[in-house]
Amino acid sequence: MTASLSKGINSFKEVIDAPIASFFSSCVHCGLCAEACLFYTTTGDPKYTPIHKLEPLRRVWQQEYTLLGKLGKMLGLSKPVTDAELAEWEPLVYDSCTMCARCAMVCPVGNDMTYMIRKMREGMAASGHAPAGLVGASTRSVEIGSPMGVRLPAVKAQMKHVQADTGIEIPLDVMGAEYMVLMSSMEIINFPEYLGAVAKIMKQAGKSWTLCSEAFEATNSGIQIGASDIARVLVQRIVDGAEKLKVKTVISPECGHAFTALRWEGPNLIGRPYTFEVLHILEVLDGFRSAGLLKTTGFEEARLTFHDPCQLVRRGGVLEQPRNLLKLVAKNYVESADHGKMNWCCGGGGGVSAIEEAEPLRLQAFKIKKTQLEETGAKTLVTACANCRIVLEEGLEHYHMNIPVVGLTEMIAAHLTQEKEAR
Amino acid sequence: MKKTPHPEVIPGTVGEGLLQRGVTRREFLKFCTAMTAMLALPPAMAEVMAAAISKARRQSVIWLSFQECTGCTESITRSHSPTLENLIFDLISLDYHHTLQAASGEAAEQARMQAMKDNDGKYLLIVDGSIPLGNPGFSCIAGISNHDMLVETAKGAAAIVAVGTCAAFGGIPKADPNPTGAVAVSDIVKDKPIINVPGCPPIPVVMTGVLAYFLTFGSIPELDSLGRPKSFYGDTIHDRCYRRPFYDQGKFAQSFDDEAARNGWCLFKLGCKGPVTYNACATTKWNDGTSFPIQSGHGCIGCSEPNFWDAGSFYKALSMPVSMTPSMLGAAAAVGAAAGVAITWHNRSTKAAAKAAHEKVTVQELTREEK
Repeated sequence: MTASLSKGINSFKEVIDAPIASFFSSCVHCGLCAEACLFYTTTGDPKYTPIHKLEPLRRVWQQEYTLLGKLGKMLGLSKPVTDAELAEWEPLVYDSCTMCARCAMVCPVGNDMTYMIRKMREGMAASGHAPAGLVGASTRSVEIGSPMGVRLPAVKAQMKHVQADTGIEIPLDVMGAEYMVLMSSMEIINFPEYLGAVAKIMKQAGKSWTLCSEAFEATNSGIQIGASDIARVLVQRIVDGAEKLKVKTVISPECGHAFTALRWEGPNLIGRPYTFEVLHILEVLDGFRSAGLLKTTGFEEARLTFHDPCQLVRRGGVLEQPRNLLKLVAKNYVESADHGKMNWCCGGGGGVSAIEEAEPLRLQAFKIKKTQLEETGAKTLVTACANCRIVLEEGLEHYHMNIPVVGLTEMIAAHLTQEKEAR
Repeated sequence: MKKTPHPEVIPGTVGEGLLQRGVTRREFLKFCTAMTAMLALPPAMAEVMAAAISKARRQSVIWLSFQECTGCTESITRSHSPTLENLIFDLISLDYHHTLQAASGEAAEQARMQAMKDNDGKYLLIVDGSIPLGNPGFSCIAGISNHDMLVETAKGAAAIVAVGTCAAFGGIPKADPNPTGAVAVSDIVKDKPIINVPGCPPIPVVMTGVLAYFLTFGSIPELDSLGRPKSFYGDTIHDRCYRRPFYDQGKFAQSFDDEAARNGWCLFKLGCKGPVTYNACATTKWNDGTSFPIQSGHGCIGCSEPNFWDAGSFYKALSMPVSMTPSMLGAAAAVGAAAGVAITWHNRSTKAAAKAAHEKVTVQELTREEK
């Protein structure tokens, strides 16, 4: 069995639902979405207009689900979607869309282009037009357990390091713990500080928590490549792990799309509600803060700003929490232009950072981030998504900007009141 | 200031009549300018109109009243006298009008026959009221049924003005269940130009405007699909309503005595038919430009539209054309629903087939066979 055009077209027909039909029929071709798009604004190329990226899907909708379209198809007036066309569209649907949803915010008729791109990718994946980078990541996720190929021994090794560093034991497979902590493989490999930070914070808050040996990976390549069948397998692992350990809450790590996958898409993918709650780490930390469980001392002196990850702020509604937390530890915090709901994407979301061919375009698109950052005059950039973090670091390095990028959780952890002082 | 010389005064013309009544040229020109503006004619036409009207022979007019309430006549006579509109009316030769003429009985009918004979092919016939076809006895004048009188008088008319909704569209007499079998003028007379001036009653200035046009150009103004002069019936009340901005902002009165109503917000939700009613009320207004129903706090009832009486409650918000009868609406809704069901069924089956044909996407199947 291989991917084929007929599978792709069938998949298009399958994903077209009432929202998509109403989005296509209500588009007024105003082009406002272009101005909101990272890739259009930095290239000026009209092919990057968000709604245009959906053209093959639109034609299938028209040919299969509208009266005139059906007639046109019967009379041979509209051209069918071909493999060549989908191949042409691959860079538009994947490389140049981070599913950041900025376009959906400005659409005057309320069209959710991100929703449609997510659905369109189902057909692209089924027809074999997904980028190799994402195919690889998906394959590793399913076969090895993590898009970056991280296995449990690697996690255990890291747990040992963190234990040695912090003197706090990292719990694994603890039945009935309140929180189950997930990580993204980026955090396991590139940012081990995260696990240590969580351990310190949990200890201070006096909460029980655990990692799960069967479900430590939070990221979901199935969502990025756009294959619900694959995404379902990956979500099911976490659900099985959490339900086996009978935890109350699963904490999505500093990762954007993992949160979207688990919190918003997950229950629909598995077809039932969870028996546990899903929160982003920032939601948990802000909850601790308002309950008085987060005690900090000292402040960051450097001028710093926050990069809102798209999936948290626009798709997830996590807007106030990072600001509440930053106020605890930052004296010199500045907002960038377009911060919050209209923040510009790092350029690597929606799987784009895993697509090798997309790198030149991604670095070009980073110019907008660069300008946004320069205007703030910030010396440190804080964010809450490991993917944003690595993409930002690469972009800053490419443009020779010496600005460190820090995860908010570890910044908070660095300011926790020491036990002796607390007592 | 340069003094405009008085145009030549020809005896027996409207111009002479006006002069005799002490109407100054300035006042007359003002009237003509207002009329040209109202009829949406180029400004230069004011002079043309003034010249034409002042030189015109008194136009013979026969006014027939059938199944009506005399409201249309009231509307014209109550237009603030002495205005130029009234004078124009005085200065046409109104040869026959039940309510207004002094003659009665044989003499009255004699006047009608005389006018028809003297001005054969040139007189203007104004009709208010609908015509019953059910039984000639339902409404007759001097022993002549409305139907016969209309047919007889229409024969020699230059044009017919159907004044009021009854004459134009059948109006209230035609409302369900239409006991008299009432019909509009246009249902009977097919071979003469008919200008419909609907309204219950019509705005006086609209009636005089139509007459002024006829006197000036000797032809009828441009009409819409329902035979109404476009210059007065070209826009909906809603499009010209001073409360329109509230509608656009979604600010609606919910009852006649709430805060929103006192603030003058849109009356759409209280049943205003402004959006589907074509008339000039919102621009020319009533009682010498004093006000119109919406300005006085009541929604438009759509009185100048066909079948307005049968279009449901005046107090129920409605956004469908009132010209459709309930049975037509029902039929249209049924056809629409059936088409919707058919299309939905077809689309659902397309989607169900696609679902059934779904082949699970596994990581082994993400690539194509190289050809």
